[in-house]
Amino acid sequence: MNLALVAIVLAICAGAVVAVSTRESGVAPIGLAVSLVAAALLADPLPSAAILGARVTAALLAATLIRWASRSGPRQPSPLGWPAEALLATAGAVGGMGIAVGLASIVAGAGPITGPLEGPTGPGGLDGAGEAVGLLGSAALTSMALTIGAGTALLVLGAAPMVHGRPGIRRAIGLVLVAQAVLLLRLGVAGPAGDLEEIARAALLVACAATGAALARAAATQESGGSGEGEAPLDLRRSALSR
Amino acid sequence: MTVLLLAVVAIGAGLVAIVAAPTWRRVAVAVGVFGSLAVAGIALAMPAEESVELGGVGLVGTPLVRELAVAWSAGLAALGLLEVGVGGRPTVVGPGLVGLAVAVVALATRDPASSMAALAAGGVAGVLVPGISGWLDGPDAPSRLPTTSRGSLAILGAGLLGLAAIAVGASPAGPLGSVATSPDDPTVQMVAALALLAMVSAVAIRCGLIPLHVWAARFMEGVSPLAIPAAFAWGGAAFVLVAIDWSQVALGPSAAADPARSLIIGLSFISLVLGGLAAMVHDDIEHVLGYSILQDMGVAILAFASLEPEVAAAARNWLVASATIKTALAAWAAVVRSTYGGHRLADLGGWARHSPVLGISFAGILVAAVGLPGIAIWESRASLIGSAMPGLAGIVTPLIALMPAIYLGRIALAGIEPIGAAVAAGPSGWPRWTGGRAAGWSEGTRFDLVRAIPAEIRANRVPLMALGVLVLTVMAVVTAIGGTAAT
Repeated sequence: MNLALVAIVLAICAGAVVAVSTRESGVAPIGLAVSLVAAALLADPLPSAAILGARVTAALLAATLIRWASRSGPRQPSPLGWPAEALLATAGAVGGMGIAVGLASIVAGAGPITGPLEGPTGPGGLDGAGEAVGLLGSAALTSMALTIGAGTALLVLGAAPMVHGRPGIRRAIGLVLVAQAVLLLRLGVAGPAGDLEEIARAALLVACAATGAALARAAATQESGGSGEGEAPLDLRRSALSR
Repeated sequence: MTVLLLAVVAIGAGLVAIVAAPTWRRVAVAVGVFGSLAVAGIALAMPAEESVELGGVGLVGTPLVRELAVAWSAGLAALGLLEVGVGGRPTVVGPGLVGLAVAVVALATRDPASSMAALAAGGVAGVLVPGISGWLDGPDAPSRLPTTSRGSLAILGAGLLGLAAIAVGASPAGPLGSVATSPDDPTVQMVAALALLAMVSAVAIRCGLIPLHVWAARFMEGVSPLAIPAAFAWGGAAFVLVAIDWSQVALGPSAAADPARSLIIGLSFISLVLGGLAAMVHDDIEHVLGYSILQDMGVAILAFASLEPEVAAAARNWLVASATIKTALAAWAAVVRSTYGGHRLADLGGWARHSPVLGISFAGILVAAVGLPGIAIWESRASLIGSAMPGLAGIVTPLIALMPAIYLGRIALAGIEPIGAAVAAGPSGWPRWTGGRAAGWSEGTRFDLVRAIPAEIRANRVPLMALGVLVLTVMAVVTAIGGTAAT
């Protein structure tokens, strides 16, 4: 097991927990940035410098957009608090690794496979059901299993704010986390992406952040529209969105 | 190479138009219209087949890609010009060009995960930009913002769900890895059917099929009708085409066995019947437009019930033709609303008498939407229905075709009624010369004549917009009759 990858997974989860649970509006984008940049590094071996650059740039751009949106509007911390969110993330990660093990065992009888488990002959070296079942208990976790685990942890953390949260920064963060979760699950389940797909994935992450940020900004403006501060609600909307 | 050039020009022009729209309206419109025309030119120059490798993935230009790009970009240019006449914030061409670019890349690439991610990333602008604009312009309708939020989440969520299904299908460790080697294994068939249903669910969310249509119906109330084709008809068509391609390649026809097949047919018929009924009972033309698009998508998803190659070809024909027709219908709706102020049938009595060019255009739209046996749109609809329900196509196809005849026929009948007060108060649909020169042709200079052009254009705004609708109608009729070459 690669300890560096484990540390990266911990950083992904910790950043996401901070992003969804903090009461400080300026800290949430920092947590999100840590989580997204760490997710960009979750690969063994690391992708080429160009792909890595595209991933990190997309992550930072997404965090910047969320920070832009978080400057206005009310704070929306998690109603559960960070300990509960951290436990949820842990449960999600464990569940994801269980899925990785399950994926390998489903086709264990179908001959040699390449999968999320690493056997004694190297990654994917599982031959036949008996050998696979025998290895399941002692198999070392590979980057694939860790990737799936990180993805499910982000999915658990992001799903509730995205679906049930009030319009605002919390929903935007949830949307970005769910998008990153699906992108990680895609890598974990189906292996490395091609260069074109990496570009499309980066665009999707930025599009999710831009969408969430624009809607959060608009929601914050709508909530303050009736405050009677001397500016007509429609003017307030336009000026807030153009800032 | 032209595919790549087309995508770059479309994304560049689209993003500039979106960014410039809030502050520099004229710049945004000009960039959008000229960008659309440039894209149309590139698409026309695209060879019938070409390929280029980008990032390890081949981008293959096909007749389908070419014809979709030509029809969509030409329609966008026309919609952009109509937007100038209609007025308001430019929200149509920019998102449309971005959507067109990602659709072309998605259909040209052989990698479904890239396609799905690109469609989700580029397609959301088609809902977000007009939705936010509608909210800004409608201070008395605060519900437009939650509707835009739901719509954006639906577009992105559908893409993410599709991406997850594709990932499971591509997994060497996953159960779908056995589809090719043992397609008759019941366990493999069950897993493939579940994957197919996941993809159909993504399509249903993306297209707003009933019962997931609430966001789509609300969205259409709050935006310009001109924005609806890019968000729903074209964007949805590209999504469905990518989903069908993936389902055929990764799952194969054996995945579309019962009960998955029955569920897909059921979902399709709910949208077909209820969408058609909703279009019949609604009095406002935006809802008729929206539910008619939804009904078209209901026909298209019948392709998932068989996944045979010939059905996929029929779905391509159907989707491109129906999107072109709905673009013309959206243009008609926007022009009627802008000209007469109302959007309910009760307020539109005699619209066709008042503006004969609009009436002729609508007649063309009606004929293209219904179709006739032997022309491409009818045959593709019959093929899709016949593949899902062998033996019943001869009965069901005319019944399905009857629905647009009824809901569009209602609008046509309102057009030939005596001219009502609201329509009579609107500007005339007949072209006229307002006397740009006071003393007649013979006494003025050419400079006077040229100087009179802007005033004459303003005076003939309605006939010119009707002419734009007529151009779109001709495109729609041609596509409905001939179909695409991508069969």
